[in-house]
Amino acid sequence: MGLKTSFRGVSLPPQKVSNPAIENAPLPKRVVLPLGQSENRVCKPVVEVGEHVKTGQLIGQSDDFLVAPVHSSVSGTVTEIRPWSDLSGNKMPSVIVESDGNDSWLEEIRAHEDFSDKASAQLLPDVKAAGVVETGPPSMPLHAKFTKPEPSKEFQFLVGIPQSKPVDTVIINGIDAEPGMAAKGAVLTKYSSEIADGIRILQKLIGSAQMVLAVGSNGSVSSPLSGELAGLGVQVFQGKDKYPLGLNPILIKCVTGREIPLPDGTEQDIGVAVVDAVTLVHLVEAVRDLKPQVDKIVSVSGAGITAVKNYKVRLGTLVQDLAEQLAGLQGDPVKVIAGGAMTGVALLSTDIPVTKETDALIFQTAAEAKSFSPDACINCGLCVRHCPSRLLPNELSKYCEFSMFEEARDKYLLHCIECGICAYVCPEKRPMLHLLRYGKRELSLA
Amino acid sequence: MEKAISLEKPMLRVSVAPHIQQKITTSHLMYNTLIALVPALLAGIYFFGFASLKLALICMATAVACEAGMQGVMGRKLTIKNGSSLVLGLLFALICSPELPWWTAVLGVAVAVILGRGIYGGLGNNPFNAVLVGWAVAKISFPAQMATWIMPEPLFGLEAGGYIEYPPLEVLRLDGVDALLDLPWRDLFIGNVPGTIGTVCVAAVLIGGIYLLARRIITWHIPVSFLASAWLFGLIFWLIDPEVYANPTVYLLSGWMALGAFFLATDKGTVPVTAPGMIIFGIGCGLLTMIIRYWGGFVDGVAFAILLMNALTPLLDRVRPRVYGRVKEVA
Repeated sequence: MGLKTSFRGVSLPPQKVSNPAIENAPLPKRVVLPLGQSENRVCKPVVEVGEHVKTGQLIGQSDDFLVAPVHSSVSGTVTEIRPWSDLSGNKMPSVIVESDGNDSWLEEIRAHEDFSDKASAQLLPDVKAAGVVETGPPSMPLHAKFTKPEPSKEFQFLVGIPQSKPVDTVIINGIDAEPGMAAKGAVLTKYSSEIADGIRILQKLIGSAQMVLAVGSNGSVSSPLSGELAGLGVQVFQGKDKYPLGLNPILIKCVTGREIPLPDGTEQDIGVAVVDAVTLVHLVEAVRDLKPQVDKIVSVSGAGITAVKNYKVRLGTLVQDLAEQLAGLQGDPVKVIAGGAMTGVALLSTDIPVTKETDALIFQTAAEAKSFSPDACINCGLCVRHCPSRLLPNELSKYCEFSMFEEARDKYLLHCIECGICAYVCPEKRPMLHLLRYGKRELSLA
Repeated sequence: MEKAISLEKPMLRVSVAPHIQQKITTSHLMYNTLIALVPALLAGIYFFGFASLKLALICMATAVACEAGMQGVMGRKLTIKNGSSLVLGLLFALICSPELPWWTAVLGVAVAVILGRGIYGGLGNNPFNAVLVGWAVAKISFPAQMATWIMPEPLFGLEAGGYIEYPPLEVLRLDGVDALLDLPWRDLFIGNVPGTIGTVCVAAVLIGGIYLLARRIITWHIPVSFLASAWLFGLIFWLIDPEVYANPTVYLLSGWMALGAFFLATDKGTVPVTAPGMIIFGIGCGLLTMIIRYWGGFVDGVAFAILLMNALTPLLDRVRPRVYGRVKEVA
């Protein structure tokens, strides 16, 4: 199965990936576990300071449907419950656990639960209880993705956005979208039995949906897996090496031919669910092993690590602690990026915990770190030539630069998928993506 | 405890995404354009002697000086290093006669840099092609100086082409189609005819144009639609009356057509950026060029065709493909 449509984009410099093995990162001495995914969706802590917790023990939960429960990722003592800065500098209530170094798990966690005769209604609570979160963007608890949309969505029919549809296509995104990311390709090779099990679980959860496994040039489907996939009725979509194929809006367009209705629509509106291949592995561990999500597969690169390495990192490990333990990290990194090289966030401080949304960490030395310039646009049109949303980023960036946000909205600013190509190709090195995001944020506050 | 940012330890650099950038810079675009213009300049030197080189150097020096002066007066960042004023100066020289008095050249280039570009905010923000603005001012103010033609005298090798004493389009206009019947197309193609420094040798311009396309500095849309529409338009009239209208290929090989299509009509900032917009722009340039050549007041229409189409650029940028995820608005 190949591309249903062509799209504009760029060929990014190829990256080296060290063998697809996924190493376990050393057990951290201390973890910082944020109790929520965003400011207004936060769990209540169910442990107290001084309490001893085991690995996998529930430490925070919420009645809110869109909040995943939080579990301790090490065994040890809760030393503090207090706000801690997240990626963007917001303070998030967090539970801090000092590890006792034993990593003793809760006894209830059994390996290899036979899920084959469980019904979908039984599986979904398991997924919710395990706190599996889809990496995104947009990041959300995985169970929310497979639950019927809220009825209020139907009202959007009146304002021209298509009515929500049941999911008829599930795309497993196995394409490592940006430089710095290599986890999906590694998972496809290393966890092929989990991928197959994960697809079985998805089939139970969703019922009669067409499953598509999207792989890029980074990963390949091994022959036993491809046989199994054929048996499960899964189509394999072979992507090409062009950014931003791995980003959900473009991937959906290329696999199904459908577009997410923007600005307000989501993939659920067109009956599609995209599941990250790495999230799928965590899903399998939740349902088959009844193991809550306590770790995350993270790709690490930069500053001496030329070939991207994949690590299974305990949630809540501080980037600083992880960096000190990693072999091969050389030089003085001046920039630390959470996420891929195209859309990732540069960290203010290395005291930031690894969360369920962290998919890559890039350490850049002074020579690797880029900066932007405040120069005027020269209207060369390179960004227009490469924009996958077919926008005119040159014009939009000027509108946003001079606070003409309404004009920018009329020129479809909200259809931008924030892939970052305009800033990547800009010969004047203007901060294009930043200007467009700034305009979007201003419009959302208006 | 969360550490406060300590000033002893170097702080992390924070910047917005993306964290990698393509190597292409404005200087890269401009110096590649300059490289692409070198064959045309060499051809000019070959056919018209070192007067061509002298004029080119005068124009380039004037352009850089005006740009620096302009940016100094306006208190803006000095950007002469990016090569855009060198390209402007060289392009101006290439569309002038090698006999052009130096003061006319200096005046034209100064107008181009200051009134054509600088006052709008510099590179890429001018509505009209700056080179052509400067040229048009010089052409209208000093028509006699701008129309002094010398015969080609190749430095070595070739024999001087002596079939015509004026540029081919002037001959067509003054003496009619028959006067050009004896002129070998080969002379037109390699530039062995009177004319401006950089436009006589179509072969050299084509080499530069293909270089630009190969380095992806320009896209095919404008040159191809420009040349194709001009040729097809010429073909129609040639088929109607070959006694009045010359073979369309002669029109393609003479005057500024090639330089216009590859270098002047692809000037960054003054032309549309969407693919359909660029194609309409090219077609408009091609048709207007031929219309001016057939019936207009000026012998060669390329400059005014491009200037007229520049005025339409903001409109043509509205012609664009459907954006991702657009649903029909229900009013």
